[in-house]
Amino acid sequence: MKIRKYCKIDREFVVIDGALYPFPKEEGTHFLTALYRALSVDYPKFHKMDTLSKLGFLASELIFREEDENILMFDNMAIICFNRSSSLEYDTKFQDSIEAQNYYPSPSVFVYTLPNIVTGEIAIRNKLYGETSFYITPHFDAVQMVRTVENAFQDRDTQSVLAAWIEAYEETQEVLMMWVEQGKDGGMPFLAENINTLYNKSF
Amino acid sequence: MEELILKLKKEIIEVLNLEDVKPEEIDANAPLFVDGLGLDSIDALELIVLMEKNYGIKLKDASQGKEIFKSVAVMAEYIQANRTK
Amino acid sequence: MKEIVITGTGIISALGLGKEQTLNALTNNRSGIATLHYLKTAHTEFPVGEVKFSNEEMKQRLNIPETEVTTRTSLMGILAAQEALQQANLLTPQYALLHPKIALISGTTVGGMDKSEQFYADFLENNSKNDYIATHDCGTCTEMIAGHFGIFFLLETISTACSSAANAIMTGARLIRDGRADIVVAGGCECITKFHLNGFNTLMILDHELCKPFDAHRAGLNLGEGAAYIVLESSEFAQKRKIEPLCALSGYANTCDAFHQTASSSDGIGAYLAMKNALSNAHLQPADIDYINAHGTGTSNNDLSEGTAIERLFIDQIPPVSSTKAFTGHTTSAAGGVEAVISILALQNNFIPDNLNFKEKMPELTFIPSQENISHKTLKHVLSNSFGFGGNDTALIFSK
Repeated sequence: MKIRKYCKIDREFVVIDGALYPFPKEEGTHFLTALYRALSVDYPKFHKMDTLSKLGFLASELIFREEDENILMFDNMAIICFNRSSSLEYDTKFQDSIEAQNYYPSPSVFVYTLPNIVTGEIAIRNKLYGETSFYITPHFDAVQMVRTVENAFQDRDTQSVLAAWIEAYEETQEVLMMWVEQGKDGGMPFLAENINTLYNKSF
Repeated sequence: MEELILKLKKEIIEVLNLEDVKPEEIDANAPLFVDGLGLDSIDALELIVLMEKNYGIKLKDASQGKEIFKSVAVMAEYIQANRTK
Repeated sequence: MKEIVITGTGIISALGLGKEQTLNALTNNRSGIATLHYLKTAHTEFPVGEVKFSNEEMKQRLNIPETEVTTRTSLMGILAAQEALQQANLLTPQYALLHPKIALISGTTVGGMDKSEQFYADFLENNSKNDYIATHDCGTCTEMIAGHFGIFFLLETISTACSSAANAIMTGARLIRDGRADIVVAGGCECITKFHLNGFNTLMILDHELCKPFDAHRAGLNLGEGAAYIVLESSEFAQKRKIEPLCALSGYANTCDAFHQTASSSDGIGAYLAMKNALSNAHLQPADIDYINAHGTGTSNNDLSEGTAIERLFIDQIPPVSSTKAFTGHTTSAAGGVEAVISILALQNNFIPDNLNFKEKMPELTFIPSQENISHKTLKHVLSNSFGFGGNDTALIFSK
């Protein structure tokens, strides 16, 4: 397995395949909104998403935006995401809205109280009909990621996997998304040590 | 009525997170769903919450929204006639 | 490819504890849905499929000290896993003779939410119930179940909403085929909480009366709770440890509907692809399926989307279809496990559970769900659907 392309977004930097992706940061605008504007995509639904989905959406945009749609084997692409805090950011938000004092639970907040909505958002945007799954692990675990992706390739239908660590809770907002394919040529080997390097490397 | 329509437009923009839309860009007589603002079933539910929270109108069934959310003008008329706060 | 067989099953739901009570309720058309009793909430107007035990009663059954920190979800999980492990001969010392590598793959989304709801206010002010707050996350629930038995070398927690348990079963089969585990206990568990009762209520998809899957006048779902696990292993391994398989897991597939965060597409593309891919994974034709245990939540959207997908795939050879959610309620993350066990019971006993509360055919569909507890047909292959928010659709096929 090899990493065909990767994207990393955190509060400091946006990196695509090892190169910094510069974008203007405006005072008072959330950095994810600023990045969305810099990409000049027309997808107003972005503003309705929770942070997990925004991170997943932007990383997948950065990975796919310059790809020729015809060569993408989207039908056979699986999306497998991992994180530590599930959808706790929106869980808390929803919980606050069902407290007795100000009881107006919001349907659009409840929708995002599931971690796997982000896999759905990426699939909707890119018309991916393949497998999607979400695993919750105690911490960033590259070994577990490799095992799980390897397992997904056990199905011969699966030709590539969009694998991502996406975490959004309190001070942490980060995504490391990797487009993984079978074979060796034309990419960095999809090995735990390489994934750890990508995750820990600062720019 | 004009005042209520403008107020409603602002409220809709806020609760539906229509970041890039300005009140004057919403045609009060244009359909809210079907193309227009690109709203979906969750947005409709959010409008039902808005009517309850801000105007004290409680809908029992989500399908009632279909008639009421035809346009901002229709919505304003319904609110005018049925509001309890 | 290795054949995956099932050597044990365990279940707890509104229908009772264990397979015997479940089968008895199913064959006698006795639903477990009733007025709310165990969950403390203001929303008593909704009928629900609660497990008819308090947490204390479940602890007593399991000889767990009353003071031990547990959650309702994990207690139900332990009870269901215990029954499955017992049937698969994994609770006697002989199990260790072959030194099997046993994994537990559990689906849950709510996790320890019940305890967080109970103790969150206290957590903010007194900090005295932090042991309970620490059980909030989904992984802890899997750890608590595993900790009770102490036989698992690998734990995995999957959270894909209402298809979680079905995805756990699929993941388990792959672990075995890949040689990573000899035996996998897979399924899911979930208790009803105020959190998701309120959430489903805001989506206006809860029926105020008994749910009516696939009925023209269906008005939403009834929430349920429970846990169910099945024991998976390769047929060679089962032979090696001289245990008779109950049936095989012959096919599985997961696909994405790629349509909306919560709504299903009107053409049911995700559901269609999941069923189609599961059939091809099992090397079966649509005509081979003898019964479909549908996801059939009773919401306007799901039943139309799923029904349309069934018609598209099975065309004029639609096998009997029923949703058992009018018996158990929608057990959300546990549903894939609960319905896997029900599908296996149907296979073993050659019966097709009734689609309760059905009265009038949906005008958009050509078929009606199965009525009057058909029990004269020999079943060979049963397909079970589980669809989750996020467009996460899974189909499993059980065969004998």
